[in-house]
This record gives sequence, C-alpha cells and structure tokens, in this order.
Amino acid sequence: MSGATAALDLAPERLGRARPQPERLAPERRHIRAVLPGALAKTRPRPLYAVIVVGAVVAIVAGQLLLSVGLSQGAYQIQQLEGQQVELGRTSAALAEDLDRLASPQYLAVNAQALGMVGNSLPSYLRLSDGAVLGTPTPAAAATSPIFAAGLVPNSQTASIPLVGGKEAAASDGASPQDAATPPVPLQDGLPSPTTR
Amino acid sequence: MVRHTKSTRRRLAFTIVAVSIVMTFFVMRLVDIQVVRASALSAESLEKTETGDTILATRGSILASDGSVFAEAVMRYTVQVSPKDAGEFEREVDGTEQTITLEQATNEIGAIVGKPGPEVLAIITDALAADKNSLYALIAKNLNLDQLRALKALEIPWTTFSETPSRVYPNGAVAGNIVGFVGEEGEAQAGVELMEDSCLAGKNGRTTYEKGSGGLPLPGTTVTQSAKDGGDVVLTIDKDIQWFSQQSLAAQAKAVGASWGVVTVMEVATGKLLAVAEYPAVDPGNVSATPAEDRGSRAFAAPFEPGSTYKALTAAALLDQGVASPNSQVVAPFRYKPSNGADINDSEYHEDENLTLSGVLVESSNTGMSKFGEKLDPDTRYAYFQKFGQLQKTEVGFPSESGGLMADPADWDNQTTYTTMFGQGFSTTAIQGASLYQTIANGGVRMPVQLVEGCRNADGTVTDVPASTGTRVISQDAAKQVSEMLEMVDQESWVHENVDVPGYRVAMKTGTAQQPDGDGGYSSSYLVSMAGYAPAEAPQFVVSVNLADPVKMNSSMAVAPIFRDVTTQVLKSRGVQPSTEPAPNLPLNF
Repeated sequence: MSGATAALDLAPERLGRARPQPERLAPERRHIRAVLPGALAKTRPRPLYAVIVVGAVVAIVAGQLLLSVGLSQGAYQIQQLEGQQVELGRTSAALAEDLDRLASPQYLAVNAQALGMVGNSLPSYLRLSDGAVLGTPTPAAAATSPIFAAGLVPNSQTASIPLVGGKEAAASDGASPQDAATPPVPLQDGLPSPTTR
Repeated sequence: MVRHTKSTRRRLAFTIVAVSIVMTFFVMRLVDIQVVRASALSAESLEKTETGDTILATRGSILASDGSVFAEAVMRYTVQVSPKDAGEFEREVDGTEQTITLEQATNEIGAIVGKPGPEVLAIITDALAADKNSLYALIAKNLNLDQLRALKALEIPWTTFSETPSRVYPNGAVAGNIVGFVGEEGEAQAGVELMEDSCLAGKNGRTTYEKGSGGLPLPGTTVTQSAKDGGDVVLTIDKDIQWFSQQSLAAQAKAVGASWGVVTVMEVATGKLLAVAEYPAVDPGNVSATPAEDRGSRAFAAPFEPGSTYKALTAAALLDQGVASPNSQVVAPFRYKPSNGADINDSEYHEDENLTLSGVLVESSNTGMSKFGEKLDPDTRYAYFQKFGQLQKTEVGFPSESGGLMADPADWDNQTTYTTMFGQGFSTTAIQGASLYQTIANGGVRMPVQLVEGCRNADGTVTDVPASTGTRVISQDAAKQVSEMLEMVDQESWVHENVDVPGYRVAMKTGTAQQPDGDGGYSSSYLVSMAGYAPAEAPQFVVSVNLADPVKMNSSMAVAPIFRDVTTQVLKSRGVQPSTEPAPNLPLNF
C-alpha cells in the first residue's frame, strides 16, 4: 500500500522532470502544478487503488494458500496411494508364492488321489489322422501304486495346506486316505514338520 | 580539486598498501579453499552431512524348463517390541474404548506368531530385567504377510515391524539336491544356488542425500543408484518328470532298503538333463531335516564303479575300431585266466557258452567281454573313455562335481586291464553314465551335458547359455549296432519281463557292480544300475538308474521297476508315439 502511494506521489514529479527546460516554460509548469494535485483530490483515487491492491494481495495470498493446501493434499494422496501400492505389491507377491506352492507336484498328486484319481502308467494313443489306436489300452489299476504314495518327496511348503474340498486338513503329506488303505512303504524319515502359516 | 598535503598522500599510500596486502591474503585464501583444497574440503563436508540407505536387490529365481519356480525370493517380516513402553493400552473395539492389558496383548501376539503368550511376555520381562530402559526385543522373525497384517491389526503401540528378504522353495524336495539352498543370511551354499550365484545375486543399490538439521534430506541432494536385481536361472529340468522320478526312486529304494540312489533322465538330441532324481532328497526349505551327507548331489559328486552298464562302452569301441561285429563269436567260460595273470569269472557258474557279442551283452558275461576286449590295447580303450567324456567332469561344472577316477593305462595292473572292459576298476558319476548312453543313442555324437538353459537377466537378455556343439565319438554305424545289441538285452535278458514298456522299443543294459571296500578289495555291497533309452528306433530319452546297497534285493531286478516306470512316464508325458517297426533280432549264440 505504502509503495503504491509512493509511486503515485512520484508520478507528477516524473512528469515534470520529463518536460524539457521547465524553467523557461513557467506557465505550463504552473498549470501542471495547479491541476494535477487538484485532479487527484477531486477523483480521490487512493482508496480505490488501495482496495484493488489489497484485494489483489488477499486474492494472491488466498490463492497461494489454496494451491499449497491442494498440493499437500495431493502429496498425502500420493503417499496414501504409494502405501496402497506397496500393500498390493505385497499381496500380489504373497498370492504368487501361494500359487507356486499349490502348483507343486506333491500337492497336486495328493489332491488328485483325494479326489479318487489314479495314475495309469500304460499310455495308449488315438491317432487323429486315421483313427488308429496306438498302444494297448489298459484300465488303470484301482489300487494306488506305491509310486504315488504321499510323503516320498517331502515339501515343507505344502505340509499344512488342506486338500481340496477341505478334506483331511493339514494332512497333505503322508496321511491321505489311500495311505491308510494301502500301507506301501513305511515312512522311515518321518513326516516333514509343518510350517507356521 | 582536493589538494593533498604530503602527510595525507603518505597516509593514502599506506592505506592502499595495507588494503592490498589484506586483499592479496584474502584472494590467496579464496583460491586455496575454492580451488586448491576444494575437493578435499567438500568431501569432508559431505561426510558430515551426507547419509544414505541401501536399496536391497532381489535375488533371482531358479526356474524349471517350463518356467515353474524351484526357488524364489520372498519378503518375510520381523516383529519387535519396545519393552520399556510395553504395557496397557487403549483399543477401540466396536466403537468403545477397551483397555488391553500387557498379558492380553502378549497372548494375542503369541497366537499369531505361533508361540505361547507367556513366552512372548517372558521375552519382554527378560529384556527389562537386563536393562530397564530396553527399547528393543525381538519377538519373532520369518513371519509371512498374513501374520504381519494380523499383528498390525492388533494396533499395539509398542510393536514395530521390519522386512527381511528370504527365500522359498515351493516344490520342496523336487530337484532339491540340484537346486541347492542358501544359508540363514541368504548366502549361496549348495547346488545351482551356489553354481549360478553370479547370475542369481543382485547388486544392492544406494540412495544418498545430504541431511539438514532435522535429519531431513536437503532438497535436490538425493542421489539414487538403483539396485540391480539378480537374473533368473532357467534349468533344463522338467519339474513333473523330476518329481515322478524321485517318487519312483524313493518308493523302490525304501522297498529294497537301498542307502542311496540316482535317476537321470537326459534328452538324447541335446544332452539336456530333464531329471536328476536323488534319494534321499533334501528339501531346501527344510535343510536341517536331512543329514548333511545327503544334502549335496551324489549324481554329480559321488563317483562309483559302474559295472556292466559300461560293457556298452567296450562294445562301442570294438565296433568303431572294426575289430568285432554284433555277430562275432566267442566261447565264454565261467572262469577265464588270461595269459597276463588276471582271473576273471562270471557272477554265476555256467558251462562254456558259445556267445556272439550280442549274446555277451545279453548274458552280461565278464569272461566273454574280456575275450573281446583283448582285441583292443589298453591305450585305445582309454582313448575311448576319454572321448566318451568319462575321464573328466561334465560341462555342467556342478559344485563339488567329480570327473570320476581312472588310472592311466600304463598303471593298470593285470586285473584292472580286464576289469575296465566290464565296468570295474574305475569310477564314474551317474551323470557320466547317462552321457555314455546319450552318445550311443545319438548316433555316436556326444552332446555336452546341460543342466542350465541360461541366465535370464532382468532386462530380458539371456546369458551364460552353455555350449551345445556335439563331438563325434564313434561312427554312426557302430552306434546303430551297439543300439541294436542293447535292444536285444532289453528283449532277452533275465530282467526283460520287468522292464517291458508295452508298445515301445527300449534299449538298455543292466549292471551289478561290486563296490570297493576302501582297502584295495571289494566289499559285499553292490551298486545296481540300469541304463538305456527309448524309443530305440529313434532314441529320444536316456534313463539311467543307480541304486546303492539294495540290501533286500541285490540284483539289477531292484532297479528294473524304476527304469520301467520312469521310461514309461517320460514317453507318456512327452507324447512319444509307440513304436511301429519290429525290434531287431540278432543271434545270441552259435
């Protein structure tokens, strides 16, 4: 405000100085001196300018405030989203880990057996081009071959995951129903200890 | 305008000189600081203000040939408490403030981390007993994400959490002895983890910044050197064949009471190992459950006297040198005493037999093979061992790999000169044995043994791809003739009913090798083997089985079911069409 008025005060003087040879043009100089302050007084510009300037300053300050509020709001949001990203990344990694574990052959085999599936080691093929059957089709033996006995190839990662359909929870390695029916091979090295999960 | 008196001029001169001196001093000082000692000073200042954090690089995965994961890096979590602050706290449950006592809190923590609550409480009280201002006590580590989230949900103000990189082996003991494992601190200790550590290990990055008074980074001073994650090692191992081989091996090894065993499946055309099954197997995720001597790979590291499976090598050398054919004849006695003083006998008494070379292989006659082997001098036979890759480590370069053991022919005694014709008096590894049959099956061209497809870097490039140029060892004709003789073994030998793979032609040879007692003689223990390939008319897969000390069945009959089941499974899973051409029929006697 004070700066603005000072600038206004200076204006006539600058005008005056700008005139060449002011001493010689006395009437003109008097004219300027007489009219300019009077005009200023008549139009009373100072409060208006002051209001504009104050308004502008207030607007700028308010704008800046809003801007920084917006910015910091954005920063919080970024932080929150980054946190969310970390959490989702962790979830994704944990799920991928679970998937790898569930895809292990040991777990698939016990599950398949729990669902009543048996392995057939005698393959035969149907050739599509001429419909020929290659090999000797033989039904799989109902009794589970000792090859498919659980627990022969330990996996500490799947030891405590329940089988599909919630059967025999926590018994995926070494105690499937088939094992109880046909005791093929004694577990000489014991059951793998379950992981905490 | 101003007139100077003499004294004024003098004062002026003095001032100018004084100011100049001071200025010169300042300028010198400035140059000294800004130019001469600039780097040392700014380094010193950085040292005081600069700080940084390590950005951990992720260790690469070990993958099966189909991309499924044998080993991968995971994040595990650690929970610690500040014992000094441990006490009651308020928790909002269903909109009401509840006071949770220390005991309740420790019970809740214990239930999640799998420790009894009082034990958790004891950790806190013990820490306080040692130091009443204790700010740190470890409660549990190696927690998974579910446990971490459950603990965070407890909202206990005096608990903190940290991340620790860890490693998991989702397939457990499948290929465990090959994959190997890392130690507590993540350092490679065995197997591919160790062999390919340079590929797997990442390079930690670092972020540095200059810290201001509050320890906050000064804007614009942060320098980040990003971490370089490790590459993935892709193995040639087929996870399913590997698992099946291990199942089959373990089942039979337990049934016959064997002390250890190896099943090797190799692709004929490439020399790639599809399965290296071992018994006992180690679960890399639970290493301590396996005795230390069973944690490595015997397939690579434990050479043994291979026995009669190596009669195929002598036969191949004979045919390649043109000194015998499959129909060459010999009279095989039970006991043969060559002129050099050696004493060779067959495993069971028999009258003299009129055998062809094919017949010698089918009957697995040591005396017959000795009479044939005499046709080649020791140096020639040694050269064939060399060319078949039996005298040096394979190209795999597995940790602690052995290249077998064979004396220089000049040092062979009279007995060794003969025993080397039928697989005794030297030792090879299971992998070298599989490689021998790969060469015969591949028309006489030996392919480098491959276990690793390559190192797949983070940017997608594949490096460390092993060599895949074959070398001819024997002529194609010789290889074909040996193959036909091995087919006769499959059809006619005493175990043939137990190795039949219906619909397929198989070539194979049995072996029942006496093992050294470590004292110059042989012990009563045997190592039984069976090596072969299928389909014989266009060989695709080598299957080699070795079983040590099968106390309940001391013959190659012990390994027959493993050989049959694994061969069938490989042919089935790879969709190999059954054979349509009939197998050859070579005369065995005359």
